[in-house]
Amino acid sequence: MLFNSYSFIFLFLPVGLAGYFALGRGGNLAPVLWLALASLAFYAFGNWQYVPLLLASIAFNYGIGYLLVERKLRPKVRFAVLTAGVAGDLLVLGVFKYAGFLVANFNAVFSTGFVVHILLPVGISFYTFTQIAFLVDAYRGQVARYAVPHYALFVTYFPHLIAGPILHHRDMIPQFERTEAKRPDPHLILCGLIIFAIGLFKKTCLADGIQPLVGPVFGPGSPTFDQAWIGALAYTFQLYFDFSGYSDMAIGISLMFGIFLPLNFNSPYKATSIIDFWRCWHMTLSQFLRDYLYIPLGGNRRGPVWRYVNLVITMLLGGLWHGAAWTFVVWGALHGAYLCINHAWNRFGPDVAPRLRPAATFAGAMLTFLSVVVAWVFFRADDIDSAIYVLVRMADPTRLALGRVEIVNLAFIACYAALAWFAPNTQTIMGYDHARRTVGDSLAQARLRPWFLYATAAVLAFGILGIQQHSEFIYFRF
Amino acid sequence: MSPISKILLKFLCASAFIMLMAAALNFVVDPLQLFRQARPFPAMYSADTRMQDAGLIRSQPFDTAFMGTSLAIHFRQRDIDRILGGRSLKLSMTGSNSREQSFVLDAAMARHPKRVVWQLDDWIFRDTPEIDSDIFLPSGLYRRSAAGLAGYLFSGQMARESLWILARSLPPLEPAIARLTSDLVFKFPIADVDDINALPPDYDVAAGYNARKAFAAFRHITDPVRSRYLADGYEYEAMVRAFERDAISLIARNPDVAFDIYFPPYSVLQFVAMRDAAPSALKTVYDFTAYAFPRLLQFPNVRLSDFRAVKEVTHDLENYGDVIHHSPAVDLKVLQWLAQGKYQVDRSAPLASLERLKVQVDAYRLER
Repeated sequence: MLFNSYSFIFLFLPVGLAGYFALGRGGNLAPVLWLALASLAFYAFGNWQYVPLLLASIAFNYGIGYLLVERKLRPKVRFAVLTAGVAGDLLVLGVFKYAGFLVANFNAVFSTGFVVHILLPVGISFYTFTQIAFLVDAYRGQVARYAVPHYALFVTYFPHLIAGPILHHRDMIPQFERTEAKRPDPHLILCGLIIFAIGLFKKTCLADGIQPLVGPVFGPGSPTFDQAWIGALAYTFQLYFDFSGYSDMAIGISLMFGIFLPLNFNSPYKATSIIDFWRCWHMTLSQFLRDYLYIPLGGNRRGPVWRYVNLVITMLLGGLWHGAAWTFVVWGALHGAYLCINHAWNRFGPDVAPRLRPAATFAGAMLTFLSVVVAWVFFRADDIDSAIYVLVRMADPTRLALGRVEIVNLAFIACYAALAWFAPNTQTIMGYDHARRTVGDSLAQARLRPWFLYATAAVLAFGILGIQQHSEFIYFRF
Repeated sequence: MSPISKILLKFLCASAFIMLMAAALNFVVDPLQLFRQARPFPAMYSADTRMQDAGLIRSQPFDTAFMGTSLAIHFRQRDIDRILGGRSLKLSMTGSNSREQSFVLDAAMARHPKRVVWQLDDWIFRDTPEIDSDIFLPSGLYRRSAAGLAGYLFSGQMARESLWILARSLPPLEPAIARLTSDLVFKFPIADVDDINALPPDYDVAAGYNARKAFAAFRHITDPVRSRYLADGYEYEAMVRAFERDAISLIARNPDVAFDIYFPPYSVLQFVAMRDAAPSALKTVYDFTAYAFPRLLQFPNVRLSDFRAVKEVTHDLENYGDVIHHSPAVDLKVLQWLAQGKYQVDRSAPLASLERLKVQVDAYRLER
């Protein structure tokens, strides 16, 4: 089920909210169970065949967590239990996500003809990663005792289940335990609705609106210089508003249930460096990779050379996390290289004179954006040859179409760029503060001005009116 | 009720009001003419035929349905009527597959046409999703289901089109808006049903269709980076299944309708590209023809024509915009051949034209 579907907006969400708050009058546990069951139903709607896998994953990880938290095991045994838990998770992820990729490469190298058809369970990366973090923290002694329903809800919680953000148990489970969250809070529901409306608008009106410009460039066609740039930029903004819209919708939906989700997206195209970009794009993944991969690899503690090696390894694996294909490996490698260059520049580059700082910041933002666009070409292309084909066209200004269609499309893209670069983001508009668990304070103080109310109501209406038959989140199948 | 609850209610009511206004506008203007023929606003048409056909079937008079892919998209209805007789309705859809074509034709059968002129080729029978999983075809509009009609009425994109049509119907605004109307921005820019996807009268045919373009397309599709697309979807078993499900079952269900089926005159370069870069796909094409032709000719209401081996057209590359799409002049020839019964497949020798095609493809040598 998609957030941008009539069935979700007019059936699933109202029923989910009504059941949650109705049961909330009777106690603290029933609404948690309701929400967990609703989340399973949400997952089962499009992926019913993988519900047993999800349940098995929850049972397995909760069992491993129980051994690490509750039982007084010797250090070596504890480590062995953690190893078994993480290995089990990675094995399942590897089989479902990477078996086909490995077999295809094996066939290519050894000219064999093995066939593997395994469908990727939606959300498997998210629920696997959240649970790996849980196991590692349990091993480190950073996990208190959690009830099964709360743990199950933490893993399956539907606003995040299929496309993130990656949740952390220390952030979420205490929220699920709060009694106040089980009572309807009109302020949170209104703020949640407005955030959802903005996200829906980004998805249905902006991301889906620019989608037609992308396909022709990455298909079997032969784009000119300007057409190739239009396609690459259109994809750059499609992905931006698609993912940003999804993140907003997830936060908005969760807020209606009284639960604050972490920010996952903070205007990344305004970044002035690649380091900055990765602090703003898919923020929870960046944090996960930093805390559970880059730092355990040694981070920057073993000297500058190892720092660069660890960065590249982290980004390569981050690339592979996005998809089992060589294009994602190249995308990850490019970002690893960008980060190395950025860190090296920070260390060895000259200091910028104060009067040149605005120009340097502008140049940094442009360079960052162009680097990201080039990397997105690999992210989007079917294979490396196709990506290089598009990039070659982007580097060949001698082939120029610049007809009426191209000019209109460029104007279209300029509007998207203006929105991405100059418009305030949703959390700024709404005053969303995940750490302080506050939202819309300034709106409440100002008694919600009518123009803002009707403008956001129109945004919700246009978001719903913009729902199309052919729409799928592109930052989705992980 | 608390003040914030009142604000929440106002917010929801305001959203609902805007959506209802959009639905009312769509119902009144009815850009697709699903509910009534265009009045009081002049009819405008869209080149998005998968959507537009649902309205055409409801609003246009016809006794002949004309179906096909992009190979049959530029025909003009008045040419079809003049050469073949009757009152035609062009339903051809660019890039369409047999499941889509059969579904749309099935909807058209509710209007009891006497004849179907159907451009078939092997490519349309590739494996395709169920019609309800087809993200490009609004099946609910054809079935007139509640969800389909609600999707039409509560569509923001349609409301924008309705506003545009409404503004264009106002006499003082009409000339300016007509100049601004463009298929780049709006989906309903066509004022005459006969112009849907037809090339404009001032179209430079010689520039659009010539040997240079045909050879450039040939080089492009046989480029090693691209050539794998040539074999996409060519699986014999799947093609036969789709053929039986979509073509044969429709013909069998409508014994009173005459089916004029033709295989279009691709340029020989298409088959040569397959011969050189995707030989297994070419074999599948041949095998599929060997299955499909005798099967089609089992039906007395089918008249089958095969134009793929009409050498004077298919070897003259000046007729082509790429390796398969032929010029409007060939469109007219196709209609004349159909009217004259030329190149009809003989029921006693259903594979004769296929054998001629094989010989031509084997013998063809590229000019370097």
